[in-house]
Amino acid sequence: MSEHLLTVDALGKSYPPGVVNMGRLKAFWSILLKGHTVGGKSVLEDINFEVQAGESVGVIGANGAGKSTLLKLITGVLAPSQGAIQTNGTIAALLELGAGFEPEYTGLENLRMNAAFLGLNRKQIDDRLDNILAFADIGQSIHEPIKHYSSGMVVRLGFAVVASVKPDLLITDEVLAVGDESFQKKCIRWIESYLDQGGTLLMVSHNMYQVQKLCRKALWLEQGRSRAWGDVFDVTQAYLAWHERNDAEQQLKGQSQRSGSGYQVQQAWIEGFESNSAITFESGDRMQVHLQIRSPDGRPPVALVGIARADGTPVFGTASDHSDQLLTSQDNRLYSISIEFPRLALLPGGYAVRVCAMDPEGLRIHDTHECEFSVRGRSRSLGMIELPYRWIVPEAVE
Amino acid sequence: MFLDLISRDLRSRFIGSYTGWLWLLINPLLLLGVYAFVFGVIFKARVPENMEVSFVVWLALGLWPWLAFSEGIVSASESMPRYKNLISKVAVPREILALSTATASFVLQMVGFVVVLVLISLLGVTIHWSGLIHAASILTTLFILSCGIGLFAAALRVYIPDIEQLLPTMLMFGFFLTPIIYAPEMLPEAFGVWLDLNPMAGLLTDLRGALLVGDAFPSLATGVFAAISALIFLLGMMFFRRMSPFFEDFL
Repeated sequence: MSEHLLTVDALGKSYPPGVVNMGRLKAFWSILLKGHTVGGKSVLEDINFEVQAGESVGVIGANGAGKSTLLKLITGVLAPSQGAIQTNGTIAALLELGAGFEPEYTGLENLRMNAAFLGLNRKQIDDRLDNILAFADIGQSIHEPIKHYSSGMVVRLGFAVVASVKPDLLITDEVLAVGDESFQKKCIRWIESYLDQGGTLLMVSHNMYQVQKLCRKALWLEQGRSRAWGDVFDVTQAYLAWHERNDAEQQLKGQSQRSGSGYQVQQAWIEGFESNSAITFESGDRMQVHLQIRSPDGRPPVALVGIARADGTPVFGTASDHSDQLLTSQDNRLYSISIEFPRLALLPGGYAVRVCAMDPEGLRIHDTHECEFSVRGRSRSLGMIELPYRWIVPEAVE
Repeated sequence: MFLDLISRDLRSRFIGSYTGWLWLLINPLLLLGVYAFVFGVIFKARVPENMEVSFVVWLALGLWPWLAFSEGIVSASESMPRYKNLISKVAVPREILALSTATASFVLQMVGFVVVLVLISLLGVTIHWSGLIHAASILTTLFILSCGIGLFAAALRVYIPDIEQLLPTMLMFGFFLTPIIYAPEMLPEAFGVWLDLNPMAGLLTDLRGALLVGDAFPSLATGVFAAISALIFLLGMMFFRRMSPFFEDFL
C-alpha cells in the first residue's frame, strides 16, 4: 500500500478506429469479450507518474499533446486502452468550462446538480450554498438560465462548486483562463490555500507563470508521450526553450544559409563545453567564449559576439572594435579572440551565443555561428535579464 | 443524485410550456379518448364477456402499463446520446443516467395511469382497491423489466446506432402481440397458444384481474416472471457496466 494519491502506470489511450459501422461493431465485440478496444489512433502512450498527497502537478505541452485526454482518463470519463490508473481519495475535476451544465436551467439548479455529481448530498449543498454563491459572486444572475450567462460567469459558478467540495485531488483543465483578472486571482488564492491545507492539484495550463506559481512538479507531454517529468522549474524552462527554438526554426526556414565567402567563423566554442554535450549554466555563472575567424586577405577581422534568446530575440551584443580590441593571428589567416562574461545575469530559459565574422571595417557580417545553451535557475522574475534591484519599503506611518 | 436527475428529467419535459404540469392530466385523457374512439367506436372492439366492463376500461388497464414499459426502454436507449455532454465531462456513473431516464418516463406514464384510473372510477366503474398491492407488484415487475431491457438498449445504442430505428418497431410488434387493444379470447385458437408464451400477456391479464375483480394474489407465472425480470435487470446492469467505460469514445 503506497501513500500515493494517484499512480499512473504505463498508461496508454487509443481512440477507436473510425466511426464506420463495421468498426463500431468490431469495437463492441472487443469490449464485450476482452474488456478493451483494439487498434485505433494512439493519443497517449506509456505515461508513468505518481502524485503524492499534498503535491501539485502541472501538465504542460503543445496543443494536441494529450493533456486533456490524460485528465479525462484520470477522472474516469475515459477508460484507458493500456496500463492502469490508481487513485486513493476523492477527485473533483473541472474539465471544461461549464461541464455538466444544462443551458435551460438556472444557475442555482445547475449548481445543485453539479454539486450532486461531485458527491455532495442535499444537506451538504444547503450548508455550503452561501459560500458557493459568495465565491461565484454572480449576484442575482443565479436565478437566470445558464444560457444567458457569459463564459466568465459559467466558469465562476463551475469553480465555486468544485471549490466547495474540497476534494483530495483537484483536477482543472485550462479553465481559469476564462475568468477575469480578479476572479483568476481569487481562484489562485483559493488554490494556494487549498494546497496549504494539504490538497493535491493536477492542472493543465498554458500559462507557465501560473504553473510555476502553483505547482511543484510538472509533466511535459509531447505527442502523447511523456517528454519530461520532474521539478516544475526544470520542466517548464525546458518546455519554453523548446518552444522558442521551434519558433526560431520556423522563422529561419526558407532563409538560405549565408555562403562562406570572405571572412569565416572557423570555430567558436563555449569554454568547458568543447564536446557536443548539452550546455547548461546556472543563472549568474561565468561564461567564456572562444572564437577563431579566418581572414581571406590576411587583414584582422572584427568579431561580433551576441547573446540571443532561443526564439531569436537579441539580448546583448558587442563587437571587438567597440572596445578597440584587435584579434591576434596564429598564422597569417586565422585570427583568435575570447570574450568573458563574468556574471551571466540571464534569467532561466534557452539562449544562443551568436558569433559573427565581420570585415576589418566592422561594416558587414560575413559569417555567423551559433552555440545554443540553457540557463537554469529558480528565479520567478520575468523577462530575460536579472537586473540588480532592491525593494524599498517606506517607513510605516504611525 | 438519482432523485435529482429524475426530477430534473421530469421537469425538463414541461419547462417552457404554458400550462406546464397540466399536461400531465390532459395528455392521458386525450390519449384515452382517441383510443376509445378509434377502437371502441370505429372498430367496435369488445372485451371478454365474463369481465363485464366497457372496452375503454379494458384498454386503459393495458395501455398505460404498456406505455410505461415501452417508454422506459426507449428513453433509456436514448439517454446516452442525450447526456453526451455530461458523459464526456463529468465522471458520473452512467447507469444512473440511464436508469433515471427510464424511471422518469415510467413514473410519468404511471401518473397518467393513476389519472385514468381515477377518471374511470369517477365514471362509475368499480376499481377493486383490494387488488392494489397485487397490481403494484405487477407494475414493479414491469418497471424492473423495463429498466433491465433499457440498460441493454442504452449500451447497445452507443455502439449500434441502428437500435434507434429498430427499437420502436420491435416495441410496436410487442404492442400488437400483447392483448392491449383486444382480449386474448378474441384470437383464433391456433394463435391463443402462442399468446401464452408472451409473458406480458399473462402480466396484463393478472393486472386486469387485480383491479377489476380484486384478485389479491399473483399467479405463479407472474411470480416466475418477476424473478426472470430481476435476472434480466441484473444481466442488463452487468452488460451496461462492461460496456460503459468506453461510451465516451463512441458518442
